[in-house]
Amino acid sequence: MAKKFLSNKILFRVTASIVVLFCGAMIVAALTYTGKKTSGPVSDLFNQVGETVSNVENEVVEQTRQNTRSDELKWFNEYRNSVHRMTHPDTLLWGAYDNKTEQSFNSVIALEDTLHTKLPIISIYSAWGSKSSEQFPVMKAKAIYDLGSIPFITWEPWLNDFNAKDFPGIPADPAQRDKDCLKAIANGDYDSYLDKWIQQAKRFGAPIMVRFGHEMNDPYRYPWGPQNNQPQDFVAAWKHVVDRFRNKGAKNVIWIWSPHPAYQNFTEYYPGDDYVDWVGIPTLNYGTVASWSQWWSFDEIFGNYYPVLAQFKKPIMLTEFASLAVGGNRPMWYKNALTGIQKKYPGVKSIVLFHSSEDNTTTYKSLNWQVINDKTTVQKIIEAMQAIK
Amino acid sequence: MRKSDHRKFWSFREARRPRRREKLILLSLMLAGLISMVRLANWWFREDHVGYVPLFILLSLIFWWGMLRQLVVWINYLRISKPEKIQAPKTLRVAIFTTSSPGEPLSMFEKTLKACAEIQYPHTTYLLDDTKDPRFREVAESHQAVWLNLVGLPGAKAGKINAALKLTSEDFILVLDPDHIPFPNFFDEVLGYFNDEQVGYVQVSQAYYNQYRSFTARAAAEQTYTFYGPTQMGMFGYNCSVAIGANCTFRRKALESIGGHGIGLAEDLVTAIRIHSEKWKSVYAPVVVSRGLVPEDFGSFCKQQLKWARGVHEVLFDEVPRLWSKLSLWQRLSYLTIGTYYIAGTAMMLFLLIPYLFFWFNLLPAQMYFAQFLMHWLPVAIISVAIYLFIQRWMCDPQSEKGIHWRGMVLKFACWPVFFLGFILSLANKKIPYIPTAKKAAKGLSPFSRPLMAHASLFVATVIYVVIHRLYYTPEAEIVLTSERTWGMIGFSSIAFIMAIGGLYAAYESRNLPEEDPWEKVDMI
Repeated sequence: MAKKFLSNKILFRVTASIVVLFCGAMIVAALTYTGKKTSGPVSDLFNQVGETVSNVENEVVEQTRQNTRSDELKWFNEYRNSVHRMTHPDTLLWGAYDNKTEQSFNSVIALEDTLHTKLPIISIYSAWGSKSSEQFPVMKAKAIYDLGSIPFITWEPWLNDFNAKDFPGIPADPAQRDKDCLKAIANGDYDSYLDKWIQQAKRFGAPIMVRFGHEMNDPYRYPWGPQNNQPQDFVAAWKHVVDRFRNKGAKNVIWIWSPHPAYQNFTEYYPGDDYVDWVGIPTLNYGTVASWSQWWSFDEIFGNYYPVLAQFKKPIMLTEFASLAVGGNRPMWYKNALTGIQKKYPGVKSIVLFHSSEDNTTTYKSLNWQVINDKTTVQKIIEAMQAIK
Repeated sequence: MRKSDHRKFWSFREARRPRRREKLILLSLMLAGLISMVRLANWWFREDHVGYVPLFILLSLIFWWGMLRQLVVWINYLRISKPEKIQAPKTLRVAIFTTSSPGEPLSMFEKTLKACAEIQYPHTTYLLDDTKDPRFREVAESHQAVWLNLVGLPGAKAGKINAALKLTSEDFILVLDPDHIPFPNFFDEVLGYFNDEQVGYVQVSQAYYNQYRSFTARAAAEQTYTFYGPTQMGMFGYNCSVAIGANCTFRRKALESIGGHGIGLAEDLVTAIRIHSEKWKSVYAPVVVSRGLVPEDFGSFCKQQLKWARGVHEVLFDEVPRLWSKLSLWQRLSYLTIGTYYIAGTAMMLFLLIPYLFFWFNLLPAQMYFAQFLMHWLPVAIISVAIYLFIQRWMCDPQSEKGIHWRGMVLKFACWPVFFLGFILSLANKKIPYIPTAKKAAKGLSPFSRPLMAHASLFVATVIYVVIHRLYYTPEAEIVLTSERTWGMIGFSSIAFIMAIGGLYAAYESRNLPEEDPWEKVDMI
């Protein structure tokens, strides 16, 4: 008798524990699932609210203030609001990238004030991925536009931040994604990310300059380089992306194709005249900072390749223009580069200063490209800018 | 009172007996809540979330202390029980002690003593009188109560009770507050539990009959519904249900074993913890067998809360450490939890300061995406609300008591200055300063509303400052990128602002409350 009672009790307890655990887990699973499903829409909702608040505030602020930066860049409005004017520039457009632009663009303003100018192009970098910070940079683009400039976005297809659960078809292990990554992009494996970005870019409305997959011919730098892909894969990926934008009606993007001048092979990587608006070339002088680098003049870095690049008959942008100070005379480097540049290289229609204080992309140590405190160099740049006007 | 109110309030009510199936559902919900909390913790404690380190630590302490309390509350619910009703033998000797002090209204005692006389079980009612007013003696004796002249004794109510204990000999004493009107079946519901020789006191539910007379009254009552239902029932399951000085029935031997009723600002809590330490059991019967008054105006409510806040901290700092070794594990947890209840005031104050530290000193505790926080916190919140609503089935009078109790929450928030003051006073070991209560409508608002006004003014001033700064002084290059954070913070701080307005409304309404006494219209028959 007693034994039966005992085993009933045990049976009850075991069953109850299992049932309770199961129910508890189910409740959590249900909530988590709902959470995941709604997190996208919830995030979007919050972003929308944030944008609306920002828009409203901005309108009020615009009306209150006098002599805003956009007032001073009024001459640029007819360019920046027109894709055609921006793809057929009739004047040289200056720009800059500064790395300290998370909270504000004050650093760019500081550079401008030092150079006594207003820069029509402001450059930012944006990576691919699943994080909130890797979606279309709405707020930064808005901020740039409100300041009177045009956003120039370098869009880097890094693939390790993607959440495998949201992208069936991509390797679960991020380390596996780099091999043939451009093939995967051309194949449409990342289309859901693309589509969201496209939708946001379209919503933004105003023309933006996008430099996608830059330095694709450099086998050491980025995973989308030739160490992992074939040149035709790059072309296929590029065309896939641009076609997708056009098919979804996002016609406000100005496409900048940006090979590395030193590694050449330009024609193999060229997607075609109807897929490219600008040719972008980085022109950085590393000086003697590393064993593989030496002090090269602007003519050596860029001039040597100019004849080939000019044959594409596209306006040329110097996407990252800067020199380090180690190993030579920096002020003279800038002077020599910029003096008479329009005569020497008439295809160059834009120069974007690379004003980063912490560049970790090439060497193991952080490089400081900033010139704002280098009075002599600043003077040379100011003089050159005056001459170019 | 209308007939319907009469039926509603003056009928006997009791809580439902919990069924095993219901407890299993509760356990499932709790487990889900626990898992969700772990998930939230896993997300919260990440390096990239840390802003200004000292503030982040502070924010985390406050937030997770709140979560921990919630967990303890849930664990308490697991042992919700209702004692099996036992028929009391007819021969027990029972006394009712009710105290009177100078300034208390005579008409209230009329009603209470009349109701005492009508309690069915044979008993003796004692009026412990300190008023030196002969009319009180008349009223007592006209309702067959014994008048005890206990003038000028220290220790307020408890002092009189201890003196009366020496003058009487009944084995069981009901300590009844004079504003509590007992039902005729009071002792029938209570005395049977003393059959168990180990039982030291029997506590019943505390219910009210004046909660609809003002916002403050309603809010104050709402704060107690859960406590006098599922919470005390859970505590009974862990043998730590506390005595409440308004209507608790004590065994004389239990009081004697601790040297008499406890003296202090939270005398009932002191008595309860001492009785527990002497290994007595306590019974909580979830029945409504008396109804009393809850403070109707903001000032009186704050005064009461200040008294309790001060008194509860005395228990926390003096009684709990002293009696620690004599208490069971659950009793220790319970008294610690009760003892730290009023720290919520300090926590709320720090919480509401955070946005102002951001706006005026540019200090941000955490770098978190609000949407991500919501995603991880909402499951915890949803489950908490689900549990909160689920346990309402065990309230003593669910029909009139259940709900979201938003008034109670608003009033609790509005009392943060009071709780904070109580804590500081107890740290400094100072007495409560004398704060007069204006019985008639006073010109200004209660002094307890001044911190709320200061907070509300600070909010308005900050919003104006932010607007002006952003309109004219914030550099263009900053406007867009900082707008979300700025207005998000304003949104967050407006929650506390709205709560403060609620408190100010309660204080404002208190200026014009109905003159008549609530007990005038009570007719038990």
